Formats: sequence, C-alpha cells, structure tokens
Amino acid sequence: MTVLRVEKVKKSFRGEMSLAKREVLHGVSLHLSSGEIMGFLGPNGAGKTTTIKIMLGLTRPDSGEVRILERPAGDRSAMARVGYLPENPYFYPHLSLDEFLGFCGQMSGMGREGMQRRISEVIELVGLIQHRGQRIKGFSKGMLQRAGLAQAILHKPDLLILDEPFSGLDPLGRVMVRDLLLEMKRRGTTIFFSSHILPDMETLCDRTCIIREGVIVRHLGLDELIRLGEGKIEVTARGCGDDAVEAVREYIESRSDTGDETFLVVKKQEFLRTVMQVLYNHGSEILRVVTKHPTLEEVFLSEISGRRKNKGAGGSKRESAVSRKGVRAR
Amino acid sequence: MKSISSIALNTFRESIREKLMVIALFFGALLFASSYILSPLAVGARAKIVLDVGLAAVSLLGILTTIMIGSTLLHKEVDRRAIYMVLTRPVSRLEYLIGKFWGILLAVAGVVAVMTAVMVLMLMLGKVALRPVVFMALYLTLLEIAVVCSIVVFFSTFTTPVLTSFFSVCLVVAGSLSGDLKVFAEKFGGAVTRRIVDALYYMLPNLKVFNLRHEAVHDLPYRAGDLWLVTLYAAVYCGVVIYIAHLIFKRRDFA
Ligand SMILES: Nc1ncnc2c1ncn2[C@@H]1O[C@H](COP(=O)(O)OP(=O)(O)OP(=O)(O)O)[C@@H](O)[C@H]1O
Ligand SMILES: [Mg+2]
Repeated sequence: MTVLRVEKVKKSFRGEMSLAKREVLHGVSLHLSSGEIMGFLGPNGAGKTTTIKIMLGLTRPDSGEVRILERPAGDRSAMARVGYLPENPYFYPHLSLDEFLGFCGQMSGMGREGMQRRISEVIELVGLIQHRGQRIKGFSKGMLQRAGLAQAILHKPDLLILDEPFSGLDPLGRVMVRDLLLEMKRRGTTIFFSSHILPDMETLCDRTCIIREGVIVRHLGLDELIRLGEGKIEVTARGCGDDAVEAVREYIESRSDTGDETFLVVKKQEFLRTVMQVLYNHGSEILRVVTKHPTLEEVFLSEISGRRKNKGAGGSKRESAVSRKGVRAR
Repeated sequence: MKSISSIALNTFRESIREKLMVIALFFGALLFASSYILSPLAVGARAKIVLDVGLAAVSLLGILTTIMIGSTLLHKEVDRRAIYMVLTRPVSRLEYLIGKFWGILLAVAGVVAVMTAVMVLMLMLGKVALRPVVFMALYLTLLEIAVVCSIVVFFSTFTTPVLTSFFSVCLVVAGSLSGDLKVFAEKFGGAVTRRIVDALYYMLPNLKVFNLRHEAVHDLPYRAGDLWLVTLYAAVYCGVVIYIAHLIFKRRDFA
C-alpha cells in the first residue's frame, strides 16, 4: 500500500521585494510504501522542508497532487494517524512538557485513560524525565528537539514525517533517535525523514531520495544501497617504486601516496592475487589489504557536485575533493 | 468539540500566564481606587460615581485587553511555528479559530470577573444595595467584548498585530457611533447616503446596544426581553465574523 504519494508537485515563492515568483520545487514525485523508512537528502535550500510542509497541508502546492494515507494533504482523518516533527521545533513556551504533551494528545483525539501513561512513556523514551515539569520556555535546542520527537510519536502514528530528527542532538541523543525509529519501524510505522547526517541515514533507510534545487535527482532503493556496500579492494604497500606501480597499471583503478605508503585500489577481486604477486616481486612490502565501501556521502556529494560542475569551474574542485577522499573503510 | 475546548483552555492558560493580564488588572484596580478616593461626596453620589466609573472601566479595559491579547496571540503562534503542532493534527482551521476566540474571551472574562469583584466589594463597603440591572449591564459588556474579540480574531488572521489593533480600535469607535450615524443619515441624508450608511450599519457592530450602563447607574427601567435579542445579535455577529475569518485563514500558507 502506498502510504505517501507526492505527484509532480510544483511550488513557487514570491520574492521579498518583487512580485516575481521563483519556483523552488519543479515537479517533485515520491512514493512511500507501508512499513518503509525513506530518507530525504539534499543540500541546504534544496526544498526538503517545503516538500514536507506540502505533504502535511501546511503549504499548498501550485500544482501536483499529494496523497497521505490515501487522503488529500491535511485531511483530518489522515492527520490523526500522522506524527510530524518540524524543523527547529518550537512549542508553546508557557506550558510545561507534561502540559504540552497533554495538549498534543487531546489534539490528536487521544482518550483520557492511558494518555498519562503514554506521556510518561514517551518522556522516558526521549530522555526528558527530569524536565517533565519544566516550562518549555527554558528548554535548550536539543531538549526542544527531544520534546518534538515525543509529541510526534505520542499518539502512535502510522506515518512519521520528521524534518531533520537528528539536528541539535548530542551523540547519545542520536543513538536514541535511531533506536526509536528502528523500534517504530519494527511495529510497522512508515517513516519519512530528512537529514544531513548521512551515516545514520545509511543504516536506517530502506530507500533514499536525493533532491537538488527542487528536483529529485536520485532514488536509491534497498538494492542500490546494498550495492553501495559492495566494496573495492585497497592494497597498502611500502617501498613501492614507480616501476612496480607501472607493472600493475592495468589492474588498478587508482593510486595515492602518504609518506612511504602507497595505496592501490584494485579494479576487480580476481586481480588481487596478480597485483600482490607483482608488487612482491618488485620488492615492496605489503602492509594491508582491506575492502572499502563507497558511502552514501560520496554518492550524495557526486550527485550534488555533478550539477555544480556543469554550471562552472566551482564544481570541479568539489569533485576532486571527493575523489581525493576516495573510499571509506567499513 | 474536544479540540476546540483544549485550544481554548490552552489559549486561556497562555494569556493568564502573560504579564499583560496583570497590567490590565492593575490599571483596573487603580481606576476603581481613584474613583473612590476622589469622591468626598455624600454616600449616594459616591456610589453612583463608583458604579459609573467602574462599569465604564470594565468595558473599556475589557475591550483594550481583548485587543492587546488577541492581536498578538495568533501572530506569535504563526511566527514561532507553534501553530504547526495544532494544524498537523486532526483539527480544522475553523476549530482552531473558534478555540482561539473562546480562549481569549475566557481570559478577558477572568479580568472582568476580578474587576467586577473589586467594584462589588467597594459598593458593599459603601453599603450600597446592588441592583440586578448592574449585573445585566456587566453581562452586556461581556457580549460587547465577545463581539470585539471576534473582530480581533478576524483581523489577526491576515494582518500584523499593530494593524490588527489599529483596525479593531477603528471598528470599535465606528461601532459605537454607527447607531447615531444611521439616525443622522435618515434625517438629513439623500437616498445614496442612506444606502451607504445602511450598509455600514449592518456591517459594523452596533456596540450601542450593549450599553446598559446609564440605566444601571441611574436605576432606570429597561426591557428584559431586549436582552435576548441582544444576546442573539452578539452570537450571530460573532459567528459570521469568525466564519469569514476562517475563509481567509483557510487559504493561508504556512511556509
Ligand atoms: N516562506 C518562504 N518564502 C520564500 N522562499 C522560501 C520560503 N520558504 C522556503 N523558501 C525557499 O525555498 C527553497 C527551499 O527551502 P527549504 O526550506 O525547503 O530547503 P531545505 O531543503 O529544507 O533546506 P535546509 O537543509 O537548509 O533545511 C529555498 O531556496 C528557500 O529560499
Ligand atoms: Mg529544511
């Protein structure tokens, strides 16, 4: 079942001073099936928050269609089953956390019985037990973020839409959110979230969707994310002269040097033996052989920089930064 | 229904936790005290002054407090995005506005109640018998405040706090005069003037009908049956204004 469907959504904003409109979403389409976790990735200003607000009916698209839990965006019966965490959440400052969650529960149509228990439960989950009686006015950024998560999961929604759930959190908080999301998924909750923290996204998501300048540039399904994990083999050798490298030229993809160590990325698994033999014959000492995986971060950076490169010189620097960084060990 | 009452309660809580209320109450108390102190007159005359100033103060301060609280409340909520927490739940924008309306009204009613208590206390200290007409006058003042409240909510759905206050004050002033204007136009105006004034008369709130203060102070007779009519008038007026506000609010983009 498709829980969330965004179809060719366009949105423009009027400029500050002028009446001219600037289109920030150029036909965004997304589909999210029941039980999936989808990550939404994109540089600052790409249109993630705008897309999310359109899903929730806070903003109306200029054209295109949104169906959320098979209802139109902002539909009442759908919203009862949706949990939302806004970007940089801010709540009624005059309320204590307890009062605030009580208010949210009532808004979501939760019954009085069980609500107090559930409130205690989520406060515990997000680690704000000591602050439950405190006015929200005095909350720090991370505490606000945690309170935001608490209100999003309070009514056990079927669909969670989170705008940067990891932002502002300490490392413990990030682990907490990750575990929380996995637990929600285990219970069958569908989750859509935007984030800039790629390692978290990589471990959590079934699918990832990359948006750039209001256009979805890439969908990475589970299979592609796994394929990302199919690593490359890197051989590290010492005392490796240019002649040795020349001798294995056809078997390797790239070479880099740090001090007296040389890193060679082997093109294919079956070449490894040959490469090692040739190096050995040239008198170099083999220090390590490791498998390296390209990360979501690299895919992301190359997607982003790909466009920049087309645009002008600025991009190539970025590109080389990526390739220099090479591949990361897992 | 439940969400309306929770929004109203939350709004009420927010307003009474604002220092603004304290200021309103303080000024109210000050006004009463001064009317008491500044009247070294015979007991009967003093009671009249207390009642006169008191009732006027309740009405004036009630309206001012409504405008002060109401004009910033919605704007603050949109500005700080606290409104997302409500609108992304199963709550319609109409329910939201109705909840806001009742919340503000409830808070101002609290202020009115305290001011009334102070006034009653002073009258009792002066050994003045309280006549029911005084409470009728207070009831009508509450209705007046409700009408002003709906107007404030209306403006706050599409404009800034400053402009909301400004427009609301304008409407209150115009509303207090609209009855006179109609009489004047009927006497002296041409057909076109009369049409325009008529249209204005039905659009503007006729706040004069809520004024029973003169009768209360001088213990004049009034028609109890009219109270129902006035109540109905206030209810319909508020309902229509909130509904129109909702039509505007429905279109708003929270980007
Ligand atoms: N209310 C608004 N008025 C005018 N322009 C806006 C408005 N909201 C967003 N934009 C523009 O729309 C574009 C997308 O903004 P959006 O907030 O969706 O980005 P984002 O992907 O969430 O970025 P970030 O990672 O920084 O949160 C930006 O160029 C922004 O300037
Ligand atoms: Mg954003």
